[in-house]
Amino acid sequence: MKTPLFGAFGPPKPNQHTLGAMQHVDVRMRRYRTDEEVDYCIVGVGAAGGVLIQRLARAGFKVVGLEAGPFWDTERDWVSDEAGSHKLYWTEPRVIGGRDPLALGANNSGRGVGGGSVHWAAFTPRFHPSDFRVHSEDGVGVDWPMSYDELKPYYELLELEMPVAGPAYFPWGHPHGYAYGPHPMGGVGDILIKGCTKLGIRVSAGGPVAILSGSHGDRPHCIYRGFCIQGCKVGAKQSTLISHVPDAIKNGAEIRDNCMVARVNLGKNGRVTGVTYFDPDGRECEQRSKAVIVCGYAIETPRLLLNSACPGFEKGLANSSGTLGHYLMAQAGNVILGRFDELVRMYKAPPAHALTEEFYETDSRRDFARGFAIQTVGPLPISFAKQMMVAKGAWGWGMRKVMMDYNHWAALGLLGEILPWHDNRVELSEEKDKHGIPVAKVTFNLHDNDKKLIEYGKNKVMEVMWAAGAEDVVQEPRYAHLVGASRMGSDPSKSVVDKFGRTHDISNLFVCDGSILPTQGSANPGLTIQALAARTADYLISQGDDVFTSSSRSMERPPVRKNLSPPGTWGKGVPRLT
Amino acid sequence: MSNLKLASDLKAANSKLPIDPATGKPLAPKAQPGYYPGFSTLGQKDFWDDATRKLIIQRVEEVPPIRFFRPEEVDLLKAVCDRILPQDDRDGAHKIPIVNGIDQRLYDNRMDGYRYEKMPPDGEAHRLGLQAIEAIAHQMYGKPFVELGSLEQDTVLKTLHDGKPPAGQDVWARMPVNRYWMLLVQDVLEVYYAHPWAWDEIGFGGPAYPRAYIRLENGEPEPWEVDERRYAWKAPENSLSGKNELISGTSEHGATPGQGGTH
Repeated sequence: MKTPLFGAFGPPKPNQHTLGAMQHVDVRMRRYRTDEEVDYCIVGVGAAGGVLIQRLARAGFKVVGLEAGPFWDTERDWVSDEAGSHKLYWTEPRVIGGRDPLALGANNSGRGVGGGSVHWAAFTPRFHPSDFRVHSEDGVGVDWPMSYDELKPYYELLELEMPVAGPAYFPWGHPHGYAYGPHPMGGVGDILIKGCTKLGIRVSAGGPVAILSGSHGDRPHCIYRGFCIQGCKVGAKQSTLISHVPDAIKNGAEIRDNCMVARVNLGKNGRVTGVTYFDPDGRECEQRSKAVIVCGYAIETPRLLLNSACPGFEKGLANSSGTLGHYLMAQAGNVILGRFDELVRMYKAPPAHALTEEFYETDSRRDFARGFAIQTVGPLPISFAKQMMVAKGAWGWGMRKVMMDYNHWAALGLLGEILPWHDNRVELSEEKDKHGIPVAKVTFNLHDNDKKLIEYGKNKVMEVMWAAGAEDVVQEPRYAHLVGASRMGSDPSKSVVDKFGRTHDISNLFVCDGSILPTQGSANPGLTIQALAARTADYLISQGDDVFTSSSRSMERPPVRKNLSPPGTWGKGVPRLT
Repeated sequence: MSNLKLASDLKAANSKLPIDPATGKPLAPKAQPGYYPGFSTLGQKDFWDDATRKLIIQRVEEVPPIRFFRPEEVDLLKAVCDRILPQDDRDGAHKIPIVNGIDQRLYDNRMDGYRYEKMPPDGEAHRLGLQAIEAIAHQMYGKPFVELGSLEQDTVLKTLHDGKPPAGQDVWARMPVNRYWMLLVQDVLEVYYAHPWAWDEIGFGGPAYPRAYIRLENGEPEPWEVDERRYAWKAPENSLSGKNELISGTSEHGATPGQGGTH
């Protein structure tokens, strides 16, 4: 086969903004005058910001999203290439320290519209009911100020909006099923199933992942090319850029890309008045708004609020508790690599396609609280080579040799719960970025429970790999995801925001992103972050103008609004379990 | 040139080549080492999207000029890269340029989005590291690194891998040796394994949009991929890097965490 069956693939068309292979945004985006006060200013249009801006626009609010990175045209800007996808990550300077420094950038930090949801692997397990009661049940960490039942309707909503492909019956946590069928297995999934079956461990095959197993509206199904974390050019893997942002623009939202917010401004009456930001030309601008929602994720959200310190809030805006920046969490993300005699070719299929949560809950027979999941991962050559540098200490001829065996290796990921600790934190460094804004300094230390959990979990994954028939098994310690550092709670002296994301200190300032999570379970946080955003949107809409004018703080649970979903969401399903 | 000199040059060149374990003889350099003879990712370029095709072809055809490193640093770094990822098994026309790729990253100031508190910025770390490598070469062999044989060069570099450099203590006071080692090796890996010739070598299918992969299970090749044809080889005699040993630890409980993104 020397020429493409349907002719050569042409370049993208001029004057057309493409999102995925088939989706085009052809409406002119609304532009607010810079001196015009809007209802909501959203800082960061990522996983949470993308969902929020869509819902608030649909509900008729004047809303502007400021995003530090670009508004991607996926056909022009993205490539099927590891090294060429560097620009998807937050690569602005940050400083890391502590006993166990956390690698950032490509590992966990997005930049551009869609944020981290552009380069996530798109595993979308829900948190378990026990995750919301970690302190009550296990005496560690902290309880959430809400229960699983409060978030459940939003899990169901987002699983259809993304949508999520997975089995009709998912047995762990609160059992449920998925409306879109599971994906076929790749080589790594087969190995996870084989190893787990030998050991009597249940596996969920083909999901849950926010990747289309069948075409959906103007989004094609997955083509199994394996470049999920380099950005899905196909448009099969969900990011808020393709699932929610187009609907937000159609409903009158404005997204200003390449705009870096420097501080949130506080007025004389103790309410925020908007934000100051640097526009794409580096000019300092102000956007006035009746309320501000910070959606910058676990590093940039605390950094922005700390940088917004002002008289009355010398320790950082909305930081009367002193907890802002603290209780930062990453998950244990050890990669366990096994070499098989037969070929695997793990670059095919999405890295995320099978998992087990059999070890998720606290088990009294183990000497640590909480647990972990085991998931498929599919490192491409550069990532795999770096893993071999760590896992085998390979270099030189040893590296060349193990790399020639790339197609014989499979990789499984541990996803282990690390508890929230006060000393794991985001602070301001003395170093400044190109705008002169102090950068974040991130300190991270593993504690006793974390170390025991990682040791046990890592050995369990290795056991699965051996059981699947591997002849050599090695592992790379590392971390995955970032949450916390602006935690929600009911006690204003111990947390930054309440259960709706409203800061305890300032009634028209909200935080909505992964930074508000009090604990993290051993589920990938993406679904929970987007579900929380949909819930916060329902709350804001139910409060109406009170958010802009009153300092009263209703804690009433808002009604679930299903009519705010992007089009094409409803009418799909499996027989639901009650 | 005398026959004797030619013979000794040949011997020196051969001693840098991988060995066929069956015969004990060096394997001749190839255009494409690895177990997938005839496989070509670039042969699939008509099936790639425009943006990807442009980027990959540019990577192969337009080697970036040196703009960050000074000439004497370039020679030294080239010698270092030749041992961090040796290419003696590739023929002269198919060696992948590494130093230019690292230079471009540092010239463009393309950072990973974080800096270890105890590390200087990446460019400075590379410059300091080269100074220290030169100091170790002088300490161990009384000669510049570039004048050493491959075994001696490996011996110098292995002191970094093992976290026990015998010289350059002024440099190691400013950055931990293990972090420098990982920075150096990762920068080399990022350039080499981004090249389509390296993909052909390891049998990686490369870009697959919009063409797709259709054979997901049992390691089956796509219609345009080729079957594996393994051959035995071992590292050259004049090398130390053929046997894998763990890098000495960088955290207080011994583990060396990886830094890439997988999940």
